[in-house]
Amino acid sequence: MIPLPGSRVITLLLAVLGLALAPLRAANKEINLFAWSEYFPQSVLEGFSKETGIRINYETFASGEEMLAKMLAGGTAYDLVQPPDYIAEALIKNRLLVPLDYTKLPGVKNILPEYLNMAHDPEQRYTLPYMVSTVGIVVNTERVKEPITGLVDLFSPRYAGRIVVVDDARELVTAALYVLGYPLNEINAKNLAEARPLLAQWMKRIKLYDSDSPKTALLNGDVDLGYVWGGEAARLWAENPKFAYVIPKEGAHQFVDVMAIPQGAKNIEAAHRFLEYLLRPEVSKAISDEFPYTNPNGAARQLLTPEQRANPASYPPGDRKFGTFRHLGETGAMIDELITDLKNAR
Amino acid sequence: MHALADTAPAHGGRRAGVVAWLLLAPLALWLLLFVVVPMAGLVVYSFCQRDDLGRVVYDFSWENYARVFDPIYLKILGRSIGYAALTTVICIVIGYPVAWYIARQRSPLRERLLLLVMIPFWTSFLIRTYAWIAILKSEGLLNGLLQFSGVVTAPLSLLYTPTAVVIGLVYAYLPFMILPIYGSAEKLDNALVEAAHDLGAGPIRAFSHVIIPLTWPGIAAGIMLVFVPAIGMFAITDLMGGAQVPLIGNVIQNQFFRARNAPFGAALGVVFTLLFILTYALAHRRRRATTA
Amino acid sequence: MRPPPLLPSFWDRWSGLRLLDAGLGIWTGLVFLFLYLPILVLVVYSFNDSRLNVVWEGFTLDWYGRLWDNTRIARALKNSLVVAGFTTVLSVVLGTVGAWLLHRYRYRFGSTLQTLIAVPMIMPEIVMGISLLILFTTAGLKLGFFTVIVAHTTFCFPFVLIAVQARLQGMDPALEEAALDLGATPVRAFFLVVVPYLRPAILSGALMAFTLSLDELIVTFFTASAQVATLPLLVFGMAKVGLNPMLNALSALFIVATVAFVLFSEHLRRLGRRAP
Repeated sequence: MIPLPGSRVITLLLAVLGLALAPLRAANKEINLFAWSEYFPQSVLEGFSKETGIRINYETFASGEEMLAKMLAGGTAYDLVQPPDYIAEALIKNRLLVPLDYTKLPGVKNILPEYLNMAHDPEQRYTLPYMVSTVGIVVNTERVKEPITGLVDLFSPRYAGRIVVVDDARELVTAALYVLGYPLNEINAKNLAEARPLLAQWMKRIKLYDSDSPKTALLNGDVDLGYVWGGEAARLWAENPKFAYVIPKEGAHQFVDVMAIPQGAKNIEAAHRFLEYLLRPEVSKAISDEFPYTNPNGAARQLLTPEQRANPASYPPGDRKFGTFRHLGETGAMIDELITDLKNAR
Repeated sequence: MHALADTAPAHGGRRAGVVAWLLLAPLALWLLLFVVVPMAGLVVYSFCQRDDLGRVVYDFSWENYARVFDPIYLKILGRSIGYAALTTVICIVIGYPVAWYIARQRSPLRERLLLLVMIPFWTSFLIRTYAWIAILKSEGLLNGLLQFSGVVTAPLSLLYTPTAVVIGLVYAYLPFMILPIYGSAEKLDNALVEAAHDLGAGPIRAFSHVIIPLTWPGIAAGIMLVFVPAIGMFAITDLMGGAQVPLIGNVIQNQFFRARNAPFGAALGVVFTLLFILTYALAHRRRRATTA
Repeated sequence: MRPPPLLPSFWDRWSGLRLLDAGLGIWTGLVFLFLYLPILVLVVYSFNDSRLNVVWEGFTLDWYGRLWDNTRIARALKNSLVVAGFTTVLSVVLGTVGAWLLHRYRYRFGSTLQTLIAVPMIMPEIVMGISLLILFTTAGLKLGFFTVIVAHTTFCFPFVLIAVQARLQGMDPALEEAALDLGATPVRAFFLVVVPYLRPAILSGALMAFTLSLDELIVTFFTASAQVATLPLLVFGMAKVGLNPMLNALSALFIVATVAFVLFSEHLRRLGRRAP
C-alpha cells in the first residue's frame, strides 16, 4: 500500500468498523500479537500492559510457514505479526502489510544501520527488525580435535554418522550452493542438478535431522557436529563452552525476524505503541537476556554484559558479511522435491 | 485389510424408520459438516494451482495428480504402510495378553488397571519422546544398564535407528490396541472356555479355536485404531528416527508448510484418503458377501 | 456386571491355567513397566538443575516453585482440560448412540456412513486443521473453545464408536427384547440394558478420546485463538528454547496425582461411604 494522505482516514474507518464488528473489544486497549513461541519474555509483555493499560493476546506459532497458513486463512484479525524476513518480503509483495508510521517510532534510531533497508524491505517501510540469527556449524571440541572451518570439513567422510542438521530443505541446498560457489538465492534447475551429487554424498553422513531442537543430540553426545540455527548454538555455548560455533568459510546467511502490521489490523495505534516500546534499549536488552540471538538494537547491545557479548553464536567475531534468504516463488517446490527424493533413496 | 471392515456390523437389524433416522441425524450432520465438506474442499484444492505466496488459485489442472503417482511418493507410502503394519502386529502380540489379563480381574480393579494403561499418555508426546531419548541415547539409561551389567562393553547405537522408530510407534499406539481387546475379552463367558476344556481342548487349542474367534471383534477394532492412524504418523518417528527417511505424513505436511504447495498436498491427501476408503469398502463388501 | 470369573473347581481341573495366569500377570507387569518407564524418567528429570534439561546436573525443587508462579502454563492446562472434557462427553454421546443405531437398524447408505466415520482417523491432521479453519472463517465463527472442541470431537468420536461397535458384535438381542417385553420404552431399554452392557467399551472409548484430545497439536493450532491455547501448543513452542524442566514438573504432578487418585479411589470411596 502506498501511504496516501488519506490513509489515516482509512485507518480510522477500519478502526470504527472493527469497533462495530467487535463491540466487546475496546478499541486500542488490546493487541492481537501473532509471533514465534517463546520469543517475548513475560516481563516485557506485562511491563507494556502495566504502563499503557493495553492487553496483549500473544498467540504463537512454531514456524514461519505455519504463521503464513493461519494468517492467510483469516481466522483472527492480528494487529502485529512476526514473520522471518523472506516471508515478510512475500507479504509486502502481495500488499498484505500496513506501512509503518515512523513519526510514532522515534526509537528506530537505536537500530544498527546494517539491519535497516535490507533486501526484504529495501525502503524500511513495513517492517522493524526484532532479532537476528545466523546459521552455522557447532563443533564439540572435546570430541573433534581437528580444526573445522567450513562446510567441506563438516561433511567430510571422517564424521559420517556424527552430524546433526536442521530438517530444512532450503538450508541443505544453501549449504551446497555455498560450497559450489553460487549465490544463495540463485535456485534453478542447473544449480540444483550440480548440487545433487554433493548433497547425496553429504546426506549419507548425516545422523539425524532436527529443526526444533538440534541441540539435544549434541548435548546428549549422540552427535559431535551440527549445522544449526545460531540461537541453538548460543544456548549450547552458554551451557558448555566446549561447543564452538563456526561461521563456514564458504559463506553463511542470517535470518532477521521482523515485526509488521498486517492488513486488517484493528488497533494500529496500539501496535505502534508496542513497537516503540520494543525499541527501548532496556526492553530490548531484557529480550536478549532471555533469548540469546543477535540483537539488532545498538543501544541495547551497549547494555549487555561482557559474557553475553562474548557469545560467538550471538555475536560472531570478525566482520563477516552475511546473505539473507529471498522469497522463492515456484522454485521452492524444486528444493523440497530434491531433498525428499534424496532422503527417500536411503 | 479384512480386519478393517470387521469392526463394522454386517448391517442386520430392522429397517430404519423416521425415528431411527432422526436419532442418527446429529451424527450424520456432524459427518456432513466436518468430514464431507472439508473433504470436498480438499478435492477442489487438489485440482488448483497456487500463487507464489502459497495461496490457492482456482485454475483447473490434473498436474497435481500426475505428480502423486511419481514412484517417489508411492515408495514413501509403501514405507509408511510397512511401519504401520509392523507396529500393529507388535501391538497385538504385546497387548493381547495384557487386555486378557485385565479383563479377568474383578470389577473395580480392572477399571483401574485400564485407566493406568492410558494415564502415561496424558502428558505431551514431546515430553514423553524426550524421555525416551534420555533412555535410548548413547550415554543413556539403557546403555548404562547394559554396560553396568556387562552385557555390552561399548554403548549400543539405539537412538536414530529403525529400531527406535518401532519402539516409539509401539509405545504410542499400544493402549489403542489394549483397550478395544479388553472390551471384547471382558464379556467373554468363562463357561465357554471351560466347555472347550471339557471337550478335551488343550490351552492352545482352546485359545485358537474359542478365545481368538470370540475376541476377534476387539482385535479387529484394535487393528483399525492402531494401523490407520499409524500410517500418517511422523512426529514421533522423526524425533526418534532422526527424520532420515520421509513418511507420507511428513510429505503431506511439508507441502502445506515448507513447500507452500497446498494443492499438491491436497492431491496427496485425496489419494491417500481414497485409497483407504476403497480398501475399507472392498473389505466390507467381501465380509458382507461371506456373512450373507 | 458378571460375577468374579473362574470357578474354584475349574482351577483344580486345569492346573495349567494357574501357571498361565501367573505368566500373564508377569507379562502385564512388564508391559506396565514399559508404559511407565518414560514417565519415571520424566519425573526424575523434573528435579534436574539444568535449564536445557538434557544432561543431569543436580537436584533441585526449583521448577516446582516456578511452576506455581507461571500463569501461562496454568491457563494452558486449564484450557486443555476444558477442551478434552467437553470433547470426551460429546464423543461418547455421538459414538455410543451412533454405534448402537448402526447396529440395531439397517440404514440406507449405512456402509457409506460407516466409511465416513473412519475418515477423520486417516485424514492428515494438517488437512483437517486447515480445512476446518477455512470452514469456521467462512461461517464467520470466532475461534475459541467452540471451534477447538468441534474439531477435536470430529477426530475423537470415531475411536469411541469403533470400540463400542466391537463390543456390540455378538451382543445377545434377547437382552434388549426382554426389557422391551417387560414394558420398557426403547429409550429406557437403551439406558437400562444396553448402556450397562456397553460400559467397558464406553469407558475405554472415553479414555481414548480424552487422551487424543489432550495431546493434539496441529488441529488445535489452526482452530484455537490465543485465549484457548492448549498445553501441547505451549510445549511445542518451548521445544525451540529447550524443554524446560517446568514442563516435566507439570507432567509429573499431573500424572502422579492421577495415578495416586486411581490407586486410592477405592479407599476414598469407602471413606465417602462411611461419611453420612
